[in-house]
Amino acid sequence: MTIPEFVAKPLYECFIEGDADLADTLTREALQAGYDPLEIINTIMISALTEVGRLFQSGEFFLPELLMAGEAASVASKHLEAAIAASGQASQKLGTVVLGTVEGDVHEIGKNIVATMLRAHGFEVIDLGRNVSPSAFVDAARERNANVIGLSSLMTTTRPAAQHTIQLFDELGLRDQYSLIVGGGSVTADWAAELNVGYSSDAAGAVELCKRLVGINPS
Amino acid sequence: MQSNWLIEIMKRAQSGPYIKEKDFELALIKRIRKLVKEYGIKYDANTLVPSDDDMADRVFQAGLDLFVEFGAYCQSTERQILFSRDEVLDMLAMAPSAVTLGTGKDAVVMRHRGVEDTTPATVHSGPTGTPASEKYHPKILLSCAQEPLVDCLGAGSVATYLGENIIPGTPLELLGARRDASVAREVVRMAGRPGMHINDVAVPLTCAGKMAACDPDAGLRPSDGILVSQMVELKTDFDQLSRVAHLYNIGGITVDLMTPLLGGLGGRAEGTAVVSVADHILGVVLYDADYHMFSLTHLNYVNNTDPLGIWTQAMVGQALSRNTPIILLNDIYTLSGPGTTELLYECAAGAMVGTVCGFNMQGAGTTGGFERDHTTGLEARFIAEVSRASLGLSRAEASELIPQIMKGYIHTLSNPNRGRPFPEVYDAETIQPTAEWLNMYYTVKEDLSKLGLKFQYAPRPISS
Repeated sequence: MTIPEFVAKPLYECFIEGDADLADTLTREALQAGYDPLEIINTIMISALTEVGRLFQSGEFFLPELLMAGEAASVASKHLEAAIAASGQASQKLGTVVLGTVEGDVHEIGKNIVATMLRAHGFEVIDLGRNVSPSAFVDAARERNANVIGLSSLMTTTRPAAQHTIQLFDELGLRDQYSLIVGGGSVTADWAAELNVGYSSDAAGAVELCKRLVGINPS
Repeated sequence: MQSNWLIEIMKRAQSGPYIKEKDFELALIKRIRKLVKEYGIKYDANTLVPSDDDMADRVFQAGLDLFVEFGAYCQSTERQILFSRDEVLDMLAMAPSAVTLGTGKDAVVMRHRGVEDTTPATVHSGPTGTPASEKYHPKILLSCAQEPLVDCLGAGSVATYLGENIIPGTPLELLGARRDASVAREVVRMAGRPGMHINDVAVPLTCAGKMAACDPDAGLRPSDGILVSQMVELKTDFDQLSRVAHLYNIGGITVDLMTPLLGGLGGRAEGTAVVSVADHILGVVLYDADYHMFSLTHLNYVNNTDPLGIWTQAMVGQALSRNTPIILLNDIYTLSGPGTTELLYECAAGAMVGTVCGFNMQGAGTTGGFERDHTTGLEARFIAEVSRASLGLSRAEASELIPQIMKGYIHTLSNPNRGRPFPEVYDAETIQPTAEWLNMYYTVKEDLSKLGLKFQYAPRPISS
């Protein structure tokens, strides 16, 4: 059943506005009216969050708008995922990304932005937080059967920690099982190339990079 | 403030309301938005230095409300450390309005500055925020310390120790911290200013590293400063509070470092101004700071000289200057690098808004911190000269002048000119700027003179 404009538009707008309460109500109402949860995700939620990402990237939106849109999507997703599970449909997760700020680094705003954008585009994100040890990245990658491991490093002094994490994946023979990517203020494209890992200078680029790494043609 | 207040802070850090950090952030975002509306705080792109005293006071009240409601988030315990409004107001009233920095004839008294104050700003410089190499770090420091108008030196950050990468929390961090402090101590001696205040070494990220930098003979002294940082926004942890304890133990100068993100949790300029006021209050109440380093950073550009950044500095400075006795230090953060006129125009805009709106000066953190060794003493000289020339300017005059100064760099915000590293713009033996870099200096200075800025010191020497 195609979702009519009078249902789709307010739902789309509540994601753009980052109104979690309204997203909760409208999503429940749409599901009760019998609309397909996958269609709600694909035609409304992802498209709204892609627009939020675009507005953030262009400087029209800032972090509050991004985080609040992420919160609205998170609230709606709980209902949508439950409906998908109840209907026996397969989830449309694009892949699993383990993210963290490397050991010794407590800066995580940039990493949080990437996490929000990835979730908005349909990735499952395992956010390990800040000051994450190399072994914690490895453990999470194994436990969650991740596709991509993302390391964030803001400080020049914490870049070696990113290197040590990558080395550990090498030493344990796990490098071929996961795609490793790096980002953050201290990281450059040249340095990433030296280490033979993926790199993006911004959050939108990180999403496109992850899509490529899981075999999806970027938009 | 009594030192046993720290015991009370520790108790509250362990007994305050438990909240996950992400929930704290979301609640903060929503409250800031409401406060901006409630208090009618509005950014005006045509008035980057507002003369609206009432709005400045409303920004302060909004920031005060925010701090009283949210307190500080302790990352170590995942709890809020809360204070009553009366406690906060008492501590603000008791905060120092002047502090002696350094020793002997090199000591300076840095003071609370008023809006449109004619008291000269104290000028801090050094490669703070711009990483330096082991090779050029001492020379860059000397280029700053030897500048007559520079009063204090920030020792900056070197990422290696004898070529080995420094990893936080390891022995190399302690060795690197002591090395950088020793280099800074030796440099101020070489500059003939052995008692000059050194405002910390930036390499250590832990309290242990900060403690390792302290040595009355070869490192930091009690007359120097140690940074106690806030994590954005309104966050602290036990490592930071331990630095406060260490500073009590040695009688050292406590520097409250905050890096509010423009476009971060505060959102636009108005919300960022509100949360920045709250950040300063945190520095008073939790850190008992002697002075407050306001290192505003744009989320996308990683500078604070864009129009939103200038407005935010103007409002934060006025709000705190009018309503508290505290000592403000504006950390000028630029996109451009040495050997470019853009850097000098960025420094001029930052120095002017800061001087007129109650700040002392710190700078420059160049290239958004991206380029190693891209920092020199000449831009510090320019900050000092523009600051002196801005004394006596009204906010309205500054608001007229700054857009004209911005024409020198505004077009490069999205594609900044990072310039060249220290050895390409200074003679690395004599520690003097090259003729080319100096020529740019005088060219920009002459341009600002034509705009009406009256420089205290000589224009271009005849020989250059």
